[in-house]
Amino acid sequence: MNTLDTDVLVIGGGSTGAGVAWDSALRGLHVTLVDRQDFATGTSGRFHGLLHSGGRYAVKDPGSARECAAENRILRQVAADCLEDTGGLFVSTPEDDLEYADRFLAAAGAAGMEIEEIPVGVALRDEPRLNPKIRRAFRVQDGSIDSWKMISALLRGAQAHGATVLPYHKVVRVIRQGDRVEGAVMEDQRTGEEVQVNAGCVVNAAGAWSGQVAQLAGCEVGVRPGKGVMVAINHRLARAVLNRCHMPSDGDIIVPVRTVSVIGTTDHPVADPDDTECSPEEVHQMIEAGELLVPGFKESRALRVWSGSRPLLPKTEGSAGAGDREVSRSHTVLDHGARDGLEGLVTIAGGKFTTLRLMAEDTVDVVVGKLGRGAECRTRTEVLPGSESHRFYWIGNRQQEAETDPPDDPLICECELVSQHDLDTVVARRPSWRLDDIRRALRVGMGPCQGGFCAFRVAGMLHQEGRYGRAEANSALREFVQERWKGVKVISWGAQARQTRLDRWIFEGVYDLEHLPE
Amino acid sequence: MGTDAVVLGAGTAGMVAALRLAAAGASVLVLAEGEGGLPLAPAQMDVLGYRPQLVLDPLAELGGFLESRPDHPYRLVEADEVAASLEWFLELSAPLGYVGSPHINRLQPTALGALRPTCLVPQTMAAGDLSGGGSVLVVGLRGFRDFHAPLLAENLALANPPSGAEIRARSVEVSLLGDPRDLRPQLLARRLEERPVLAELGREIRSRLEQEELVGVPAVLGLERSHEVWQRLQDLVGRPVFEIPTPPPSQPGQRLQQHLFRALRRLGGEVRLGARASGYRASGDRLEAVRVVTAAREVEIPADSFVLATGGIGTGGITAGSDGELREEVFGARVSRGGAPDEPLVEYLATQPLDRLGVEVDDQQRPLGAGGEPLFENLWAAGATLAGAEPWREKSGEGISLATGFRAARLAGGVRA
Repeated sequence: MNTLDTDVLVIGGGSTGAGVAWDSALRGLHVTLVDRQDFATGTSGRFHGLLHSGGRYAVKDPGSARECAAENRILRQVAADCLEDTGGLFVSTPEDDLEYADRFLAAAGAAGMEIEEIPVGVALRDEPRLNPKIRRAFRVQDGSIDSWKMISALLRGAQAHGATVLPYHKVVRVIRQGDRVEGAVMEDQRTGEEVQVNAGCVVNAAGAWSGQVAQLAGCEVGVRPGKGVMVAINHRLARAVLNRCHMPSDGDIIVPVRTVSVIGTTDHPVADPDDTECSPEEVHQMIEAGELLVPGFKESRALRVWSGSRPLLPKTEGSAGAGDREVSRSHTVLDHGARDGLEGLVTIAGGKFTTLRLMAEDTVDVVVGKLGRGAECRTRTEVLPGSESHRFYWIGNRQQEAETDPPDDPLICECELVSQHDLDTVVARRPSWRLDDIRRALRVGMGPCQGGFCAFRVAGMLHQEGRYGRAEANSALREFVQERWKGVKVISWGAQARQTRLDRWIFEGVYDLEHLPE
Repeated sequence: MGTDAVVLGAGTAGMVAALRLAAAGASVLVLAEGEGGLPLAPAQMDVLGYRPQLVLDPLAELGGFLESRPDHPYRLVEADEVAASLEWFLELSAPLGYVGSPHINRLQPTALGALRPTCLVPQTMAAGDLSGGGSVLVVGLRGFRDFHAPLLAENLALANPPSGAEIRARSVEVSLLGDPRDLRPQLLARRLEERPVLAELGREIRSRLEQEELVGVPAVLGLERSHEVWQRLQDLVGRPVFEIPTPPPSQPGQRLQQHLFRALRRLGGEVRLGARASGYRASGDRLEAVRVVTAAREVEIPADSFVLATGGIGTGGITAGSDGELREEVFGARVSRGGAPDEPLVEYLATQPLDRLGVEVDDQQRPLGAGGEPLFENLWAAGATLAGAEPWREKSGEGISLATGFRAARLAGGVRA
């Protein structure tokens, strides 16, 4: 068995774990991060992409609102390339209580948010598809986050400071010496080989799965997975993030992110965070809810459906300030030494993508205290790789790049303007990739055709370059087609139903994919 | 001058019906919202490939297949009529050199290297029947995104034709002159119509050829002059050359479409593309005219008989609403799921709810209304419009279109007489 020694072992490669890795590495600690799958495949890669202004929590959860408002400002400084500065609107639809709008305005100010009430006419001029019956409108600093880009930047930054990152390494045992956690044993999900990592401190950053990881160490973490369903609509229906100005509920946010608009979300407690099935009822609930913000929403082309599990933290586990809610969207660092008498293990529980930096800072502060070394936190000012120019991403970026510096290689994905060069650059970063990992890195297969044209190209090219063997290429293609199907099967209507027919014609009719040898 | 017959849809079914009607002396107008389905199609004429086991003799196995799938559109046509429609197609498409028989499934490689059963293929693909095994050199074109010769060859070498014969396959890659940013099938097809480019390809292949090998190339051997391009390449190489279909846009599909359009024009018929049928006028159970939106205005086109060949959801003949409502767009004919499941299944490569969806018809191929009676006495449906088939899984689409289009023309002609 391979053995590695490290200061900090981080379990979980979502936004939280990647943030902890970046923070630890900047403090001069050696950090090793592991995930059972590829990075950003859990909740972080399955959210709506909203960079919160804090508005959503202003009335209900003022502590979270304050954190969001502050972290939003910091991320704009250090991670511009991963963000889009869309701005946001909170609007009172005919179904929303106008009195709530007054409470909202006061609470937003108290939380330190930048907020401005604008005339309804101005809101409708800026957002022509917005419901013309809205009665009040507030401009806030919402934005959108590309979660894959963000996590990739955090990990590349950490690696540049000496971090080791191991995707597809699932924790199978936590190493304990009496009342002390000293590391963990991981199984490489691709090869079956085991790797032992001896660590000065282990950070459980497994989010909705942190209860499962804690159990391996022999303690309990009461995180409750809360499933949320989202639907991506082709096109950007709005320039800014649109929020209903009311007590947060289901389907009341539309986020313009990259080439799509995402509507979210729901909140159903689930026993297993891997339960990502979306029912037709949940999808229809989202589509109907969208009508209230954008009339005609349900006539738009729905591209894909997915769900993710929030790591909700019951109040008994949470810190103060969670208000009158059963669960908090704030985070808590659980020091299992103080809490359970089990040294060497820290769990970061709860929280949300927007506050990932603060969550990491709070966690690594505890880790540094335990290790007795490590510098001050630097993530408030240290700029992430790719964001050095402080320019926000915008939807025209890829097109602009292609026009100013025309590539001399073919496009492999017309929907998302991905060139063969982009593919080569990404696959060179690490030795093995699944097609789905490449999708997250490049957005290949995420456009209207949902992989109908590009999946075959990518599989064929990677086989030709020797990165895939024959059987691997076949199964990669089958697996990708299967994975894409999960997200389109419950939205078989309109143009997307037509697209699924064309894709089927290609996969079954032209390739005879179902009769390929294994 | 009036129109005898209006055909809605310019895919295989619509074109077959139109050509048959025109050949019988009718004045025919074909209307299509887009450009018709043929440019997407590999242009191989399938009859029945899987039921779900591999079918060896499609015509002989149709009866047994229908016992297990009584709602299948093949129920509407006698085996003799299926055979007659294919015979007729072979004759009609003689300039493209179609070969094959409805009694034999040829096994032709796909772009991924599966062996796909089909009955008729154009001459440019004729040497690619590997049911008796063979040695194949698969030739890739550098920079062409839609054809990956190494993967194709490696998969093909593992294919097992029922004859038990061995298939050997290997691949080479050849560079063609041209802007690598734009190596699309249309561009490659045009380039290969240039003699020097083709000569270079021929020399390259020949220099890397081993004895007794067949040569498989992507289906981009020219557009207008494909037969000549294929013939010359075969001469240059000195071995049988065959095309392997690539994903859309399909050059063989466009060749077939142009051929069928021309054949119809020669018979006095007309194809009007970009013309969406938006409604109709009827008198009792007789359809009098269809309304068509073209150049931003609506016109009414009266005729004696009408063929509905607009296809299913894939081509817009039928639409699905977010509320689950299914609608045949022109006449509001009754739509059925043809015995497919109501809820999507977990496995993608399984029968899905939309797979068999289509218009319900009586035994005379007349679309039914909500009450289960034929909508009109002079409207017949054909091809992918019909409910009950899984054309891509079964490899049956063209056969259904040929046979039901052929029969629709006979029924429509009969009424006119």
